[in-house]
Amino acid sequence: MIKTITVAIREFLATVVTKGFLLGILLPPILMGFAITLMPILMNQAAPKVQGTVAIIDRTGGTLESGLKNAFDPEKLAAKRAEKNKKKVEQATEVMPMQTPQSKQAVEMAANAGGAGPSLTLEFLPPTADADAEKKRMTETDGKGDSKVANPRLALAVIPESSTNPNASGKFEGYDLFVAPKLDPEVQGEIRDQIGQAVVDQRIQVAGLDPKRIRDLTERPKGETKVVTAEGEKKANQAAAFLLPVGFMMLLWISVFTGGQYLLTSTVEEKSSRVMEVLLSAVSPMQLMVGKIVGQMAVSFVILALYMGAGVVGMIYANQGHLLELMKFVYVGIYFLISFFLIASMMAAIGSAVNDMREAQALLGPVMIALVIPMMLWLPLSRNPNSMFAQICSFLPPISPFVMVIRIAGSEKIPFWQIPASIAVGLLAVWFAAWAAAKIFRVGVLMYGKPPNFPTLIRWIRMA
Amino acid sequence: MENRVDSAIQIRGVTKTFGTKVAVNKLDLDVPQGSLYGFIGPNGAGKTTTIRMIMSIIFPDSGRLSVLGKASAVESKDRIGYLPEERGLYRKMKVGAFLVYMGRLKGIDNAGLDKKVRDWLERMKLGDCYKKKCEELSKGMQQKIQFISAVLHEPDLIILDEPFSGLDPVNRRLLREMILEQNKAGRTLIFSTHAMFEAEQLCDNLFMINKGVKVLDLPLSEVWKKYDPKAILIEPLAGAVASDHGSWSALPGVREVKVENGHVEIKLADGQDPSQIMAEIASRVPVRRMEIRKPSLEDIFIELVGGSAAALQAETEDMREYAAAGKEATGD
Repeated sequence: MIKTITVAIREFLATVVTKGFLLGILLPPILMGFAITLMPILMNQAAPKVQGTVAIIDRTGGTLESGLKNAFDPEKLAAKRAEKNKKKVEQATEVMPMQTPQSKQAVEMAANAGGAGPSLTLEFLPPTADADAEKKRMTETDGKGDSKVANPRLALAVIPESSTNPNASGKFEGYDLFVAPKLDPEVQGEIRDQIGQAVVDQRIQVAGLDPKRIRDLTERPKGETKVVTAEGEKKANQAAAFLLPVGFMMLLWISVFTGGQYLLTSTVEEKSSRVMEVLLSAVSPMQLMVGKIVGQMAVSFVILALYMGAGVVGMIYANQGHLLELMKFVYVGIYFLISFFLIASMMAAIGSAVNDMREAQALLGPVMIALVIPMMLWLPLSRNPNSMFAQICSFLPPISPFVMVIRIAGSEKIPFWQIPASIAVGLLAVWFAAWAAAKIFRVGVLMYGKPPNFPTLIRWIRMA
Repeated sequence: MENRVDSAIQIRGVTKTFGTKVAVNKLDLDVPQGSLYGFIGPNGAGKTTTIRMIMSIIFPDSGRLSVLGKASAVESKDRIGYLPEERGLYRKMKVGAFLVYMGRLKGIDNAGLDKKVRDWLERMKLGDCYKKKCEELSKGMQQKIQFISAVLHEPDLIILDEPFSGLDPVNRRLLREMILEQNKAGRTLIFSTHAMFEAEQLCDNLFMINKGVKVLDLPLSEVWKKYDPKAILIEPLAGAVASDHGSWSALPGVREVKVENGHVEIKLADGQDPSQIMAEIASRVPVRRMEIRKPSLEDIFIELVGGSAAALQAETEDMREYAAAGKEATGD
């Protein structure tokens, strides 16, 4: 027992205290954390305020002047920008409701990154003005507020008569908008919106209708989704509820796969560096294998705890803590153990049987398939966690732990008996895998030469 | 199983096969406690297989084994020190950490373990290697580290599989001294080698194996007694006399005469007293040098397995067969 623990401790330290592990495993969540906290600060660096004139050549006979003046009213522009920012916040909140003050602030900061909007003044040119000559004035500025003159011309709109009065074939035509280089696309959009609105209002007026009334009538109604459950109605939180099972499965997958990979590498290294027999003079193959598996399980667990911790902090930050239930974590822990021991047994057996990593690749196929299947199935499984297919997959090791984690973490309740039943099947599979791995390990560790194929491995299991 | 207290290892009728190749065939062996036993034989003779079975790394198909009074080495692993033939170190691990790790696996208490490791490194002239990574060491240095890991825990039984291979003469001597020192401290030592002169210099008991069958198992003194000198080497004063083949074979009791580079080697018939023949030669021919030639273990081995050509043949065949058997055991 002490020897097994000694092996496990060495295995753990030899894996964790390396540059590769620290860079590859610890860095990503730290970077992610930095990104989440730093992004709003960086984005808060608002764009410089855009200031300038919009020149209009109105060839409709001056009918647009009052409408345009109204549309480009500084207050209206600011209100419009504020409205747009508010919508952005709403959209973001719909995906991931931000209810803590910090998270709200972060989203608002991101949404307001565009600033308070441009300060635009209109300049009406005579309808007969030469558009080509007027265009040239826009080169006085680069459109970014960095100009040689005080109030540079940012845009020139040439609005033809036919934009408000149908042409010979009864159709309305558009207008030309010339803009300064590098003018913020958002400002361009705003100029287009305002001119467009003035033109449409004019058309409505020409038709003898009330533009405001038409606008009110055509406003699209908003629909709010609410889920009806036994406990009552709750606001739909589809994205978070949908992502949670995938998140749990990914956690399990990353930790199990990384630990398994380390186990394979370290076993192959012990064999290829011929340190194996030296070790076997002190410990039995079984002690060595169990020690290595336990050591790597600790490595996997560190990864799981780290990423899960980051995830939980993230969810609490996004005020989604209510989606996390303690029992789900307990189940993830149980299924982690089952899937880790299954994969680790296979990895240890393969590692012991081959001479180098290249040979290991040939035998890794089935393990990889087992690991890839849940990645391909998560979408149908999380959409329909109680389908016949999902239920069957819940009892097929080695994919069953991943499948069960997806099903349990989802919002749909699954038949409770399936949880202990799938755990029992998983434990049975673990027992079998460990038994077979021990046999292969015992023969394999001292076998050098031609790498074995699957029939040989099965012969070893029968032989030992 | 009867366990004679004075036997460190007892092997009775042990057989081990790999596929169709019989690696060890119905082997009986007793290694007395405190002895220094040499396992010799050509490559692939069954030395390593025997040692691995003693170590319970592989298990015999039939027969019984007892190691230090226990039915299997598993029960007394901490009392055994083992330097395997297939040996290596953790490349990235520091020498000191590796030895401490091995010491812990061998059940040494943490207290004083570090000092023990440092002392041993000093004794093996590797004092400055404690903090070096194993991969920075030369092959010979690595081998010495492995020897330390085999004896660090002061085992009662030390098994060294080809301990001298790859060592330079200085380190060979150092290792030889260490082996003798361990033996003097009352420990039982077994070492295997295919270089027979190593065994001649060191061991007090000899176990010879060929094709998995024991061909010799005697104390070294008995070996010399049994394989009596039966050859006389003569260097005559006058070269011309040497080439006179006929007159040498005419001597009484001579079985075979070999003339080579002005030397004459006379092999005597069984039961002949060399001193009588030497006196006879001295009376007939003036000689510069005349000596009884002591047979080397190699001579004995060749005699036992039947002629040098046959042995060489056997060795190459064995190697081929062993390789084939290895393939069989590992693959199709």
